Amino acid sequence: MTSRYDLTRRTLLGTAAASMALPGIVRAQNPTEVKVALLVPISGMYSRFGTVMRMGAEMALDHINAEGGVRSLGGAKLKLVVLDCGDTTEKAKNAAQRMVAQEPDIVAASGSYLSSFTLAVTEVTERAQLPVLTLSYSDLITARGFKYVFQTSATAASQAEQALPEILKLAETASGRKPQTVAIVTDNTGASVASVKPMREGLLQRLGLKLVVDETFTPPIADATPLIQKVRAARPDLFFFLPTVISDAKLVLEKMNEFGMGQGKVPTISFGIAIAMPDILNTVSADLLQGVLTCVGNWGVKGQEKLIAELKSRYNEPWMDQNAISTYGDMWIIKEALEKAGKADRVAVADALRNLDLGPSKYYPGGLTKFDAMGRRVGAGLTVVQWQNGVPYTVFPTELATAKPFWPKSS
Amino acid sequence: MNAVRSLGPLALFALAYAAVAMVITNSYYQLMLTLVLVWAVFGLSWNVLSGYTGLISFGHAAFFGIGAYTTVLGQVYFNLSPWITIPIAVALGALAGLIVGFPTFRLRGHYFALAMLAYPLALLYVFEWLGYQELTLPMRRDAPFTYMQFEDPRINTLIALVMLVATVIATRFIERSRFGMALLAIKQNEAAAEAAGIDTLRWKLRAITVSAAIAAMAGGFYTVVLLVVTPPSVFGMLVSAQALTVAMFGGVGTVWGPVLGSVILIPISEILHAELGARIPGIQGVVFGLAIIAVILLAPEGIYWRVRDLLRKRSLAKSGAGMPSPLRGGPSLSEAEIRGGDGASGTAGVPSGPTPSPSPQGGGELRRGDDVILSVQGVSKSFGGLKAVQNVSFDVLRGEILGIIGPNGAGKTTLFNLLNGFLRPDAGRVLLDGTEMVGRKPHELCRAGVGRTFQVMRPFLRMSVADNVVVGAYVHAETDEEARRRADEAIATVGLTDVADRLGGELTTKQLRLMELARALAGRPRLLLLDETLAGLGHSEVGDVLAVIRKLARSGITIVIIEHTMGAMVQLVDRFVVLDHGMVLVEGVPKTVTKDRRVIEAYLGKKWSAHVDA
Repeated sequence: MTSRYDLTRRTLLGTAAASMALPGIVRAQNPTEVKVALLVPISGMYSRFGTVMRMGAEMALDHINAEGGVRSLGGAKLKLVVLDCGDTTEKAKNAAQRMVAQEPDIVAASGSYLSSFTLAVTEVTERAQLPVLTLSYSDLITARGFKYVFQTSATAASQAEQALPEILKLAETASGRKPQTVAIVTDNTGASVASVKPMREGLLQRLGLKLVVDETFTPPIADATPLIQKVRAARPDLFFFLPTVISDAKLVLEKMNEFGMGQGKVPTISFGIAIAMPDILNTVSADLLQGVLTCVGNWGVKGQEKLIAELKSRYNEPWMDQNAISTYGDMWIIKEALEKAGKADRVAVADALRNLDLGPSKYYPGGLTKFDAMGRRVGAGLTVVQWQNGVPYTVFPTELATAKPFWPKSS
Repeated sequence: MNAVRSLGPLALFALAYAAVAMVITNSYYQLMLTLVLVWAVFGLSWNVLSGYTGLISFGHAAFFGIGAYTTVLGQVYFNLSPWITIPIAVALGALAGLIVGFPTFRLRGHYFALAMLAYPLALLYVFEWLGYQELTLPMRRDAPFTYMQFEDPRINTLIALVMLVATVIATRFIERSRFGMALLAIKQNEAAAEAAGIDTLRWKLRAITVSAAIAAMAGGFYTVVLLVVTPPSVFGMLVSAQALTVAMFGGVGTVWGPVLGSVILIPISEILHAELGARIPGIQGVVFGLAIIAVILLAPEGIYWRVRDLLRKRSLAKSGAGMPSPLRGGPSLSEAEIRGGDGASGTAGVPSGPTPSPSPQGGGELRRGDDVILSVQGVSKSFGGLKAVQNVSFDVLRGEILGIIGPNGAGKTTLFNLLNGFLRPDAGRVLLDGTEMVGRKPHELCRAGVGRTFQVMRPFLRMSVADNVVVGAYVHAETDEEARRRADEAIATVGLTDVADRLGGELTTKQLRLMELARALAGRPRLLLLDETLAGLGHSEVGDVLAVIRKLARSGITIVIIEHTMGAMVQLVDRFVVLDHGMVLVEGVPKTVTKDRRVIEAYLGKKWSAHVDA
């Protein structure tokens, strides 16, 4: 147990001695390696997501180090420290505290998938002045006035605002008719509720859409019949369906099919990654998923074919989702910030991140690799992904699309 | 004095903990130190209700979450400091406890536990529906003290330590007072507690109110530590389970249990998470679960009790010679007093040996006045088609010993339950000194002067004899000291003074019977209902107990005793009421009753009654 030794050493040496002597030596020459952290759930019910994020981080570090590491630090290599957030906010906070207390030379971190984990983690890192990059959507993350958190995804509130007009455009060009009515069936988890909130609060109205069904359920549902009966009775032009749990997705899609609305007969649009995880194919057939759209903060896009192929061959992942690509990008941003800062120091790296401007974004859809005063990526866009023959392809933005979208002709 | 003595270890613990907290500068260890205390306080809150009453709550997260949300919503919407919102949380928690307790205490055992499970789950969905999926305490660097957002995490630990000390003192106080005794009595036997004069519903409501208030305090402070509140993190199943885990691991029903459990489990779980979790994700949960299972198997009642039993055994072994023999009775009983007359002869026994006190026990007739203390008039009770008691009438005279006998299933215990309020008769009246008693609850009857013992003994094995008895003394005692005094007197009366400090679990059957008697006596009853007090006793032991009962009768207590064996009773009672098939068969002095052919027939069958006639 190294931590126990740390404690004794600390007490023996005393903080004064440590703070005077050690950093002096370290700073005199360039470090051979610089620690960056990945603080994600790799155990418990969110471990699947965290594991994919680790794949992205590992690939990025291999690439960075292979290209010569951080040049401004004399080619220092990046070293990944993975910390497990577990499955509760308390564990996430504990992990963050452990990170700042026991790995004082970490310069930046990426994490922590779930918004509530990211919120808890950044309460710690903010106080420790450690910069954190996150793909979590919650607006609250960057609305607290924090200086050390950087959000690469479009926030939940802005995602619907961005996605809806595009989906309407797509529908109009494909079917020659502008959709008039909308049904919403969502679970009550934080991310889902945040995604539909702007729709309920005026966005649909502004777009000239009428909300005909609005149902919120608590996962897991036992029987989707009553929900889908309401949808069938209303016959909406668009069906927004936001599940988090795969079994809910399965039940609803099967019931849609049973009621003659499946396979895109009523165009189904989701938000978030849940409906496009590889695991869903274990329980839901590709036929049922055909044509289903989902709006995600990031996805593997045109130009990343090499990365996608590497992910497939190295980790046996069938496609590159948001967690892999965003975390991959986070590591590159940290590397660039280190180049700019010129020293392996967390405050300096944070400062560099705030002033970073790498032009058009490379690993995130839309906007720039640049953060505004709140820590949000400037012009952050999103991707729309569509299931086509058992694979979710990016279909929007058009210039990044890996497949052409299709709009199923309604019967 | 006990309370003061028990604060010694607490002070030591608090000082040691504070000293450790002051030395540690690592913010992660400091966070652990704080969380250990938060969960210990939460475990203690659970213990106040479930540890002492035995009513397992799976829903303490409801109160914890109310505390957490009060704190976070107070600051987000009203800019209130946790210094203000935590006390508000305590009040809201107490209120919630009362609201939850009132309907839920109608349920017992597993049903209570399951019903409690529903409250936090319901609240979880309510708070999600309200749109409070994710809330954070706004950072206030401008006023760290006002908003409990200290730069130095040691202050958090100190605040939590103050909460723990306050909770421990409160728990200690409850444990030592009639409050705790009442709860323990409810735990061992709710019916017996009612019969001992305890208003069980009222005490249970008080317990859940206090418990919920403490849980809300813990939840409020947890928010200050974690800074983020989501419904699953404060209302989730795992939160409720945390309280159970630390309390059951450390020891249920003791103030040190949850503290011990928390001090051991929380750091271990974190260390496992930090050390193993990084290498084999998820393995920490497996190891932690196995460790808990192992401890539960080795120490089913928790570590505290296991250690205490071991220590006690060792100290007993050391001072073995000095201990009073468990077989020895009280000082007022002698072997000689035990031996009564020959029961089989049918005559009431006069103690044949030399007795230290004069024996008034003659034939039993005409010695008493005609003053009726209890009048039973036409009482009936059916359970479905079974007429357990039918139109039973008899009078109990002041100062007499009345025996109610009858074969198994004659309705004796049902009759007792009708007399002291556990059952409500379908018809008939029960008059105590001329006042109608039908419809009164057992504890009210106890207050009115009716004491009772039970056929099946349920002593609290972990409590000393003195503590077992004091439960019965609170009914008329103004102060705890008075109750203690009355209990001591009752113990002396039954002759258990020598073993008053022993634990219930170390007593012999006879001593347990006497202890039950003492508990009933401690409430100073005028009328004592004894349900098969002689059951399970050997011949000589029966004599011991009979002597005590006689002594009680001499002191002026009217006694009604149920037995199905007639032998011992003939020596004891003044009068018999014989029940058969729920009806009064015969009523009269022992001499006539034992010769009555209907009685013999009821007990032995027709063949024997014919034998008597011959």
